[in-house]
Amino acid sequence: MSAYLTQVRAILWKDLVIELRTRERVLVMGGFAVLSAVLFDFSIDRALVAPQDIAAGLIWMTIVFGGLLGVGRTFHLEAEDGALRGLLMSPAPRDAVFIAKVLANFTLLYVVSLLVLGVFILFFDLELGGSPAAIALALALGSLGFVALGTLFAAVSSGTRLGETLLPILVFPLLAPMIVYGAGATARLLANRPLAEVAGHLRMLGAFTVVAVFAGAVLFRFVVED
Amino acid sequence: MQVKGMRRWGTALTVLGLLGLILVYWMSFFWVSTEATQGIVQRIFYVHVPAAWTSFLAFGLCALTSGMYLWLRDERLDRAALAAAEGGMVFATIMLTTGPLWGKIAWGTYWTWEPRLTLTLLLWFIFLGYFMVRGSTEDPGKGKRFAAVVAIVGALEIPFIHLSVIWFRSLHPQPVVVRPDGPTLPGDMFATLMTSLGAFTVLFLGMFLLRYALEGLKSELDARTRRAIA
Repeated sequence: MSAYLTQVRAILWKDLVIELRTRERVLVMGGFAVLSAVLFDFSIDRALVAPQDIAAGLIWMTIVFGGLLGVGRTFHLEAEDGALRGLLMSPAPRDAVFIAKVLANFTLLYVVSLLVLGVFILFFDLELGGSPAAIALALALGSLGFVALGTLFAAVSSGTRLGETLLPILVFPLLAPMIVYGAGATARLLANRPLAEVAGHLRMLGAFTVVAVFAGAVLFRFVVED
Repeated sequence: MQVKGMRRWGTALTVLGLLGLILVYWMSFFWVSTEATQGIVQRIFYVHVPAAWTSFLAFGLCALTSGMYLWLRDERLDRAALAAAEGGMVFATIMLTTGPLWGKIAWGTYWTWEPRLTLTLLLWFIFLGYFMVRGSTEDPGKGKRFAAVVAIVGALEIPFIHLSVIWFRSLHPQPVVVRPDGPTLPGDMFATLMTSLGAFTVLFLGMFLLRYALEGLKSELDARTRRAIA
């Protein structure tokens, strides 16, 4: 078990160090998120719609679109010079590689989703409500579920001719639970509704995320074999 | 079973299914009584519900054979998965077109985010991804594995998608057949629905076997071509 954790930590550390040094993906995702918030704001006629009413949905959609940009590139760097092959030939089991990749993507996306939340609070003039920790939890569960599916299908789509363009077709239909429960919980929490009202949302979001991570860890080996 | 036997069974079941379909149309247009509140439009129910059932059966079969393919790596399982997925797409498309046609008259709108309609739409897109993945890989073996992964993840997420879209909103008529206190459907409507369910299922199985046999012939042709070149 401890060898497994060491392997996961080594791959995770490698990915995070690369990201810290290049800051490529986090800048692209962050920039995309802020610009989307700006354009979303322009797209709303404030005389007709109260931005606060639709902010939660826009926050989650921005996270999904921004996340897609970053997650789609999970295996890009490693596609060069046979680096992925090297990683897969290492003694680390395939699921450890997957878990490490998911955790690395999660770290990125969670930072970006907190940024998105902050930007929307600023631009849309939102109140954080009484339980910011619950919003942070919803975003964490949602991001983790999203990157689990996203990482698995990034490996699939990067093996096809279509590449990343295929990713949304594969991932979006599976995101309905994440959006329904995640955006639902966020909307209620931003509207300062009691925590008990979103407990069911958070539980379902958690169950969805657990299944997504588990399915990815089991199925990843079939995607990257040979 | 040999490819020849498959074809014979496939043809027989398809013909039987088509004959059953004629019977279903006769029953639903001329025989069954008109529903009191919804009127004539309710007759679309005898196509819509069996199509939905058949598409779920087909997608389930695809996920099952996909999982077994990843485990056993028998090409026949992959062919079965492909044949089932194609059948599922056909019947899901029928379900997705008849639903809104009925909805326009019964609900006054073509599209509502009704849970079962939404679930079928999302399933349709999951399997669109299934075919796109298969079609866009250079190495067929890779495409088969990728597609199997798509089908399995789709099947695993279905309970969540289903629950979440129910959570989201519901307008759909409540079940009238599978209920703890027995069917509430009048006898002739029940008979028509059951006939239609049978006809659709047999038709699907027939088309499934034909499609499966066709894939078998294709791979045999490939193998012979390769041998001839070598």
